[in-house]
Amino acid sequence: MAKSLVASAPKRGGGRRADSRRRNHSRTTFEAYLLIAPSLFGFLAFLVAPVVIVFVLSLFSWNLITSPQFVGLANYRQMFGDSQTWHALLNTVYYVVLNIPLQTVLALLLALALNRKMRGSKFFRVIFVLPWMAMPVALGVIWNWFFDPRSGIIDHVISMFGFTGPNWLTSSTWAMPVIASVNVWQYTGYTMLFLLAGLQAIPQTVYEAAALDGVNAVQRFFRITLPLLRPAMFFVLVTNVIGSFQQFDTVFVMTQGGPGQSTTTMNYYIYQQAFQLFHAGYAATLSILLFAVILLVTFAQFRYFRKRTIYDFS
Amino acid sequence: MATKPIRGRISSTTIYLLLSVGGLISIAPYLMTLNAAFKPQSTLLSTQAWTPATPATWSNFTQLWHQYDMSGFIVHATIVAGAITIGQLVFTTMAAYAFARLDFPGREPLFWAFIAMMMVPQIVTLIPLFLIMSHLNLIDTYRALILPYVFGTPYGIFLVRQFFQTIPADLEAAARIDGAGTWGILRRIMLPLSKPILATLATITFVNTWNSLLWPLMATSSERDEVVTVGIAALQGQFASELHILLPAAAVALLPLVAIFLVFQRHIVRSIALTGLK
Repeated sequence: MAKSLVASAPKRGGGRRADSRRRNHSRTTFEAYLLIAPSLFGFLAFLVAPVVIVFVLSLFSWNLITSPQFVGLANYRQMFGDSQTWHALLNTVYYVVLNIPLQTVLALLLALALNRKMRGSKFFRVIFVLPWMAMPVALGVIWNWFFDPRSGIIDHVISMFGFTGPNWLTSSTWAMPVIASVNVWQYTGYTMLFLLAGLQAIPQTVYEAAALDGVNAVQRFFRITLPLLRPAMFFVLVTNVIGSFQQFDTVFVMTQGGPGQSTTTMNYYIYQQAFQLFHAGYAATLSILLFAVILLVTFAQFRYFRKRTIYDFS
Repeated sequence: MATKPIRGRISSTTIYLLLSVGGLISIAPYLMTLNAAFKPQSTLLSTQAWTPATPATWSNFTQLWHQYDMSGFIVHATIVAGAITIGQLVFTTMAAYAFARLDFPGREPLFWAFIAMMMVPQIVTLIPLFLIMSHLNLIDTYRALILPYVFGTPYGIFLVRQFFQTIPADLEAAARIDGAGTWGILRRIMLPLSKPILATLATITFVNTWNSLLWPLMATSSERDEVVTVGIAALQGQFASELHILLPAAAVALLPLVAIFLVFQRHIVRSIALTGLK
């Protein structure tokens, strides 16, 4: 992370000056707290307090209507014995594994292509980012239509090549890959934008020096581009992985977790427990599990990227 | 110059061809949805998605508006997303400036606390938010939808702070010597220079709010304040396979954002490049 640019106030001697400096300093402090006050309020009331509450709530049994019953660690015991929880967690991991590598590789290829000086590269950047803003709920409606076995465009196109589509969304094998591919479609361009920013931050002189040393294209990619792209790669992987672990909307509209439990992600399972089965305390416990998994995965990424970073570009 | 060897091997034509195919895949769902929304119900399922809607008809839209309060959903979503976007712009800018440029006790731990909370999954906060809002009797009001997100997000503060740090400190020092206070500097120096990042933040916030489903689904239960995501989810449940209702609704939900993006796209592409990803 970039270090702060705030220069500490120059040290000056003398009684009156030091006095006025102290006065200035306390005025700055006051102003600073005034500036962050609204955000700090929102942060404490709607982020920190909820996190505290969710830990408390995980010790209770609560149906959202009558008063909560203290049950101690019963929710946690239930969670460890609940095969549906582990199934949902596994589904979530499967979704992340389908979604992230494909999306990142495609985004990297796109970024490399668009980083060249060429006509129309600005036009393509805009075109590729457009899917990012599609409303996932509306998108679910559209992709349901595309993957429909009777009227869908996907089956029609593959039938032109002599293939027959499976019943995509009612097949427990295909439903999750379909949901993952919808998200690859949606976020590849957005990810590409950040990788492109990273590519453009690489100084051209590095390549010129490498060219003098007779480095070939493949070496250049693996020895220069990829290592120097690490900060951007780190940013997109951390934020995309955190986002992917929270898949809900596409599942909600396209499959409702089915067929069977094959697309029930953690978020969807938590939603079902809280707002369909009214097990709010248990849902709180499940959301702590999801939180723990995300923290673990994010921490692992921090460790991995720190260990492998040879150059410090912060 | 550095790219010359690659250029020799993979011809520009191939790259253009691949990019065009990719670009088509990117926008085809938009185009086909818009096209299908104008097809009469009778031909919607009997023709291919890419065949043009001739004759084009508004009847799907009128039927949608007849059976459903689409205007209401859109107005509600605009109010909620607009209020949150304005709030976030104001409060995020203030906080980001303090974190980027002012020296105050507790700055570093507070900033890192904000950053750490970026990792909290949204679902963790939703059940407690529901609890808080129902205690305050705010469930099923605009306030329940707006309050949790109007004061800014750690992500936004991080984004804008990073940008502020790229603005030379000398500019500010000069203004201070001329007698400008913190507010003056923020208004007259930082804001004019920050238009690209603020346009980006505005777009990201508006898009995220407009598209968000989970919290509105929990916090609203009557058509009085439901937003367009919840409306479409309900439509999907009610008219599961009636595409002549669902596709116009999807088109109406998608297009406002495309319009906003096309207005701001230059700022967005540039400011992401400027912010630097360090």
